[in-house]
Amino acid sequence: MRFLTQDPTLADFGHDPWWLILLKIVVAFIFGMSMILLGVWFERRVVARMAVRPGLNQVGPFGLLQTLADGIKGILKEDLLPRTADKVVFFFAPTVPAIFALTALSVIPFGPMVSIFGVQTPLQVTDVPVAVLVVLACSAMGIYGIVLGGWASGSTYPLLGGLRSSAQMISYEVAMGLSIVAVFMTAGTMSTSGIVAAQAGGSEASWSIFGWHPTVPSWYAILLIPSFLIFVVSAFGETNRAPFDLPEAETELVAGYMTEYSSIKFLLYLLSEYVAMVVMSSIIATMFLGGWRAPWPITAFWSGANSGWWPLLWFLAKVVLLLFIFVWVRATLPRLRYDQFMKLGWKVLLPVNLIWILLLGGLRVMQDEQFSGRNRWLIIGGAVVAVLLVALLWPARKAEPKTTLEEQMSARPSGSFPLPPLDLQVPPSPRAKRVVAERRPANVTASGAGSGQVADADTDADEKEV
Amino acid sequence: MNGFTIATPAQVLAIDVRLPDLDYAAMAPMLVLFGAACLGVLVDAFAPRQSRHTIQFALSFIALTVALLAVIREARVGSRELTADVALAIDGPTLFLQGTLAVLGIVALLLVGERALEKGGPFVSQAAIPVGSEADRRQAREEGATEVFPLTLFALSGMMLFVAANDLLTMFVALEVFSLPLYLLCALARRRRLVSQEAALKYFLLGAFASAFFIFGMALLYGFAGTVSFGGIHDAALLATTSPLLLFTGLAMVAVGLLFKIAAVPFHVWTPDVYQGAPTSVTAFMAACTKVAAFGGLLRVLYVAFDRARWDIEPVIGTIAILTMLVGAILAVTQTDIKRLLAYSSIANAGYLLVGALAFSKEGLSSAMFYLAAYGFTVIAAFAVITLVRDDDGEATHLSRWAGLGREAPLVAGVFTFLMLAFAGIPLTSGFTSKFAVFGAALGVGEAWPVALVIVGVVTSMILAFPYLRVVVMMWLSEPAEQSPTVAIPGAFTSAALMVGVLATLLLGVFPSPVLDLADRAAEFIR
Amino acid sequence: MGGYLGSYATLGLLLAVGVLFFLVAMTANRLLRTNRPSAAKSTTYECGLDPVGGDWAQAQIRYYVYAYLYVLFAVEAVFLFPWAVIFDDPGFGMTAVVEMGIFVGVLALGLLYAWRKRVLQWT
Repeated sequence: MRFLTQDPTLADFGHDPWWLILLKIVVAFIFGMSMILLGVWFERRVVARMAVRPGLNQVGPFGLLQTLADGIKGILKEDLLPRTADKVVFFFAPTVPAIFALTALSVIPFGPMVSIFGVQTPLQVTDVPVAVLVVLACSAMGIYGIVLGGWASGSTYPLLGGLRSSAQMISYEVAMGLSIVAVFMTAGTMSTSGIVAAQAGGSEASWSIFGWHPTVPSWYAILLIPSFLIFVVSAFGETNRAPFDLPEAETELVAGYMTEYSSIKFLLYLLSEYVAMVVMSSIIATMFLGGWRAPWPITAFWSGANSGWWPLLWFLAKVVLLLFIFVWVRATLPRLRYDQFMKLGWKVLLPVNLIWILLLGGLRVMQDEQFSGRNRWLIIGGAVVAVLLVALLWPARKAEPKTTLEEQMSARPSGSFPLPPLDLQVPPSPRAKRVVAERRPANVTASGAGSGQVADADTDADEKEV
Repeated sequence: MNGFTIATPAQVLAIDVRLPDLDYAAMAPMLVLFGAACLGVLVDAFAPRQSRHTIQFALSFIALTVALLAVIREARVGSRELTADVALAIDGPTLFLQGTLAVLGIVALLLVGERALEKGGPFVSQAAIPVGSEADRRQAREEGATEVFPLTLFALSGMMLFVAANDLLTMFVALEVFSLPLYLLCALARRRRLVSQEAALKYFLLGAFASAFFIFGMALLYGFAGTVSFGGIHDAALLATTSPLLLFTGLAMVAVGLLFKIAAVPFHVWTPDVYQGAPTSVTAFMAACTKVAAFGGLLRVLYVAFDRARWDIEPVIGTIAILTMLVGAILAVTQTDIKRLLAYSSIANAGYLLVGALAFSKEGLSSAMFYLAAYGFTVIAAFAVITLVRDDDGEATHLSRWAGLGREAPLVAGVFTFLMLAFAGIPLTSGFTSKFAVFGAALGVGEAWPVALVIVGVVTSMILAFPYLRVVVMMWLSEPAEQSPTVAIPGAFTSAALMVGVLATLLLGVFPSPVLDLADRAAEFIR
Repeated sequence: MGGYLGSYATLGLLLAVGVLFFLVAMTANRLLRTNRPSAAKSTTYECGLDPVGGDWAQAQIRYYVYAYLYVLFAVEAVFLFPWAVIFDDPGFGMTAVVEMGIFVGVLALGLLYAWRKRVLQWT
């Protein structure tokens, strides 16, 4: 590869002078914090636009400083401590998710080798052979903050929120952990910089279509599309974002685990959610979208796109794009019901994942071992046929017998609320009558309000009110 | 930059990847059982409810028979080898004990599969439901669980692996594979749910501690020898120039794990409670098969890995053996519950087995293996009788309820009398021949410790005869109590198990020589 | 700080910086905020009503079985990760894939069993 010399490898890490390490840490920290400020603004603006509202526009240009103002206001607020709370745990629980989310930023590769004050160094705080696992561990540790905070509040809603959160974590952590196995299998490494390097540029395929050797796409989002989709879905689950925001479902649990929190502790929870979102976006970009590498059309006509400080731009663009998807999903999809949510995790994501991993493993090894073309197709065909057979022969669920309305009513336990008669005629509201009367006086006076006319009148009235 | 280079796992392994040879024929008994157990899980998940019991029982029975045939085939071939690198040793003791396990497993399976004595069988399907809750009452009325069959098979496959394991790591895996199903099986009794759950919890907690000791000791031994294989530890003990502190600490901890399983004093406290609380057929399975497996493992560890350290470990294990015999015998005298009585008797028997093991000779090994087989049959038959003596509340295990049983049911009482005499070691029973073999092997060594152990063994045998004979006297000579329990008519399975157990006890007492010869020929470990 | 452990030390350093930052923020908050506690403020939230009964609610943890399954598959993942990194290196080949297939299959059996026994059905 042309730019392979630019690619940092594991051996490039750990040689920085101390001031550079400190500088990188501080910059990573500032990056995280500023992403929070911008992220909150971004989310509120985008959601507002999608709801055809103007959104933030009061504090600063385009309302950019609104989050800062909110933060300052939060710090100045009184901090309430419930009498029933477990004081120590209540105090430190909010810091846990925020701190660990920020720690995860340290293994994200922001760019290739660059020169900082004359020192050649990778644009990444640090890298370890198990960097991706560090990110997973950090995101799992964050759940501790939520569970402990919910428990320590000594109140019902937070406790339920915390428990939900832990169930959510264990359900989606499994899917997430398994989905990255495919990435490790393809990249042959667990270090983030190594995974980015492994996605560098496609190689020409060994097979051809009429003599044309197409370039195999290099992004794992395309190569490993099932893993990509599963990872993105479980990333939503892991960060407690809509449509999986059950731990803080405001319609059911007030504010879930943070109901009892106020002042800066509340802000910390809020903040950690956004850091987690940024970290997840970064790790998705790193593992599936080629990391800091420029996307294909750019590299085609600009050879320098992947060197120097430019990659930082591509990386940020990818992160912002993913953040937009996070926000977009939140604005679009309703919250899942709890049973649907668990069902998705255990009955869809997990089995699909397991099958996919083994399938991929088999394919890779067949590629390596140079099976003759016929045998290879026989094996692949056999696997496909087997999957189809299982799918076809899977016992279909018996359709539930349709119950009539009468049966449903008689099945109600005694002591239930009385039902209104089924053929109840709703009398037209006086207001609707008036509206109709204003508009079509002749009809009303002539024949009175029939049911059809009332319906018409109602819709008319609604339109007028809007 | 310290010149510290990191080799990725790929680089390390790419140097020389050599997949170990696997002798599938030699591993067939374990693989068959494990595969059948997995199949059993599927059966339980998919087969219709009514036919599950039949399918499961047939599957387990066939699997055990096939495993037995595989063991016999392997023994015919006369293979003596280390396979799967050095993880498994297929040698005489392995094959003898695996064969014993398969036969005892079949007999115990007959008890587990019995459904004639109680509606829905003696097991419930969910162990963890709070006792007395609505769900618990409901499941007491329902058809019983058939998961017991796969669980039994998992346990048996673990036991077979345990006696074949030739390194500590494989041994630990096998230990867990056969322990975990047993913990669960203990909690499944249909009657007296609370006692059953208590038994399972105690067994699990103490067993987990014992496993922890085992694995910690394993770490220390690895630190000493740089390997976990028994041969490697033996060589390291032979050649070591460093302090043997790690070796002895590690050995002590591994021994704790193993002595827990064989219920040696002072690691015996779980035994009475678990034997009493577990469903009786499971108790029979544990008493026979767990003892075989655990002793098989202990014998291999002592004879293969720590042969060189025998002078150092003899006093310690010898003391434990003496304590085990004494505590088992003396506490058995005070028991008023028949299952607890047999539990203490099983503790005392662990002591007699240790006497044979500590002879550190070929005779010691062969006699211990013979003892395991003989004791297994007797104890299964004894527990089979216990399942028969019932009242409205399930089994009547209190000794006072057994008074006058001889008049009520002379046949069952006669069988039980015979078994008690076998436990007491009266001639013409297997109890006599096996004790004779063990003590004879120990005396044959002619050293101070074995002789001392034999003296204690004989004395405690006499003490132990008292509680056994008291039961006999009670059955035949006492007046029946007011509401004496009824003796249920055994189903075909229980009858078969009972018959096999009694016949084996008799035959091994009258014509022990074929099995003794077999054990004698098998009694050689390979390293 | 160099080499292998240096990379991990950097991780620890970032963790320490995070702790420090939030300590400073909490201290600033303590100095700046108002503090007028009252009995009403220190009650827990209960939808506008006064909370009744103790603070300790015993919730039925219906998903302990999920926790078991989680342990099962989390441990499986631990075995899968190193395998995934090296499985197509020379010398492993189809054997490694088939072996992992058996391992995953046995665990999937557990999931299948739980599925059929309606454990995964949230009520």
